[in-house]
Amino acid sequence: MSVLTILAVSVRRVLRDRLSLFFIVVMPIMVILIIGASVRGFSTFRVGVVESGSGTAGRQLTEMLSSTPGIDVRRFPTAGALETAVRRSTVQAGLVLPAGMDQAIEGHGEVKVGLVAEPANPTQQAAATAMQSVLARYAGQVQAARFATEQAGGEFGSTMVRAGQLATTVPAVAVVSRQAGTRLTTLPEGFSYSAPTMLVLFVFLNAVIGSALIITNRRLGLYERMLAGPVTSGAVVAGEALGFVAIALAQAMLIIAIGALAFGVSWGDPLAAAALVGVWALVGAGAGMLAGTLFSTPEQATAIGPALGIAFAMLGGCMWPLSIVGPTMRLVGHFTPHAWAVDAWTRLLAQHGTIASITPQLLVLAAFATGFLSLATWRLRRRLV
Amino acid sequence: MAFPALVIAEKDLRQRIRDRSAIILGVVAPLVIAALMSLAFSGTETIHLTLGVVNSDHGAAAAGLVDALRSPALEDLVTVVPETSEAAASAAVRAGHTGAAMVIPPGFTASISGARPLPLTTLTNVNNAPAAQITSSIAQSFVAQVNADRLSVALAVAGGRSPAAASAALAATRPTLPVQTVERAFGAKELKTASYYAPAMAIFFLLFTVSFTSRSFFVDRDQGMLERILAAPVRPISVLLGKVLSAFVFGVASLGIIIAVTTLAFGADWGDPLAAASLSLAMVLAVTVTTALVIVVARTQRQAEGISSFVIFGLALLGGNFVFVSVTPSIMQRLALLTPNGWALRGYTDLATTGGGLAVAVVPIAAILAYTVAAAAVVAVLAPRVLER
Repeated sequence: MSVLTILAVSVRRVLRDRLSLFFIVVMPIMVILIIGASVRGFSTFRVGVVESGSGTAGRQLTEMLSSTPGIDVRRFPTAGALETAVRRSTVQAGLVLPAGMDQAIEGHGEVKVGLVAEPANPTQQAAATAMQSVLARYAGQVQAARFATEQAGGEFGSTMVRAGQLATTVPAVAVVSRQAGTRLTTLPEGFSYSAPTMLVLFVFLNAVIGSALIITNRRLGLYERMLAGPVTSGAVVAGEALGFVAIALAQAMLIIAIGALAFGVSWGDPLAAAALVGVWALVGAGAGMLAGTLFSTPEQATAIGPALGIAFAMLGGCMWPLSIVGPTMRLVGHFTPHAWAVDAWTRLLAQHGTIASITPQLLVLAAFATGFLSLATWRLRRRLV
Repeated sequence: MAFPALVIAEKDLRQRIRDRSAIILGVVAPLVIAALMSLAFSGTETIHLTLGVVNSDHGAAAAGLVDALRSPALEDLVTVVPETSEAAASAAVRAGHTGAAMVIPPGFTASISGARPLPLTTLTNVNNAPAAQITSSIAQSFVAQVNADRLSVALAVAGGRSPAAASAALAATRPTLPVQTVERAFGAKELKTASYYAPAMAIFFLLFTVSFTSRSFFVDRDQGMLERILAAPVRPISVLLGKVLSAFVFGVASLGIIIAVTTLAFGADWGDPLAAASLSLAMVLAVTVTTALVIVVARTQRQAEGISSFVIFGLALLGGNFVFVSVTPSIMQRLALLTPNGWALRGYTDLATTGGGLAVAVVPIAAILAYTVAAAAVVAVLAPRVLER
């Protein structure tokens, strides 16, 4: 009974504190929103076009770029604005279409289009290559229209339109893409990336920051007073631990609900997801309890907690996929529980895994939880008895 | 006690340095996190493609394609790895040994002038979208001339020419793709990850000064410290000034150490020293005045903590301290410019990418100072009322 009373008191204290509620409820949603909106477009090139004065030809070319998969086109008013955007990496490369392009393509000479990309910057060159392949396709239509007007007469503008139509029907040397590797090893982009990773980050972070509560209790001599009553030290520790678990579970459930309802995240196999959330709540509770016995002031918990939580999250692949880091950093990352949790979510969300496919991760996480909880219990009880 | 504010600031700073959590927030945490980011992104900052090539054709067109892939223009972007069969190339892509592969089918050269041209096949991995995109782009660019010639003949035939005459005319004139790009070099330096995230993390942890200092003001007040200080011939405003001054000195020291360490250890480029120093001072000033603002707006220690957290995380999220602001939607990029830290990050980015001096940072510094002056005005209005409480 006393376990439940201690649990209820801890939970009530958190719920009454508007500041903790801000960190448990508002912060995760804001971060999921912002990271979800930003962690996308790894598979698309962001490119810019300056179209002004280039007329119908410019519009056609821009239209061709926009309709090409993997290219995200933004328009800029001047070449200077485009250059600034490339410099700041807002776009990765850009084209400056010449003024009077309509007349130029109708003539005989070569039409020159400005390419904004630094030759020494491979990322910008990659984006430039993507733009150049579309430009080459467009140039093919210009070449054909010039040739056909020369050979068969007719008006250039209408021949150009005809070239666009014929380009889709004339047998051409195609480039066929075939998938050799289809097993997605990272979480999908957007909110499907940010929601599960931020669940991992915030449940852990809040538990570590929440350790301030244990420190305050310790300093106030609250545990000694509890033990003066008919309460065992085991019940005190269990009550506190359950408080952490309850808050962690509530927060995880909230993130799952908002992720599913507001951001359209599909959380995968329900049983496996529930098991993962349960184990992760235990990991968080263990880390929070342990932090409560290791830190000596509440200030340390609120200062070191966020730094530790963010650092572990970075190492564990919550801020960027571990597939982009080197093998050493990936290995180091797996010393944090976060990496195992993100691996498990990846199997559930990207590979449609079941509880069987995440069993190894669940076992490792359970080991982390057991380790944290037993160490915390041992340290806390030693102080209590 | 000629300058009580200085004495109070000195006492506060000493307390702060004794409390290890301040050192952790001001120096250790930003450095550790900047180091993690540099380690994670080192070697992955630029795109490079290892491309498997299966040449089962060995004709002139295939040789032309392989030459194009090995051309100096693509040297920095692509490394060609010859593969013996499509199966081997496919396995290498699946295992991630190569980013993607290109298969030139047998009879390719002969087929491209015939009625049924054979396709080029690219083998891609779902986990390496940029490689797939680049491979496909290179292949498309290569076949563009062939396809342009085929389209030219077809279009002339559609206009009334006989196929034979059109083909003969094409062979005689040998047109080349009439739209080409010319590089517009604009002298921008590459923005390294460290050059963005070192300032981003330094400023994020600098913002915690708001929480620490405002909290300490209310702790002092609640312990009756302020009354005792005011019993001496000290004006109330000196207490606030002292607190705020300690925050300023702490901020300058923290940012200075981080600039030095990240420059030396992680190769972060903070730009022209004078410009970076001015921008950093403006930012510390903005954080300092924000601290004073929280002190005069809050009524209790708890409120000060709550408002600080809201300010810290609100500014950091909006300003782009957590995500690279350039990749966010344009609405986010505009919102970032409503925050002083957003302007500071833009300033550091511009300094690092242009290599320019103070002139480059003038607008960001002016924006930060405008925010600072506005916030200081509110503090000036509210301070007397609060300090008399």
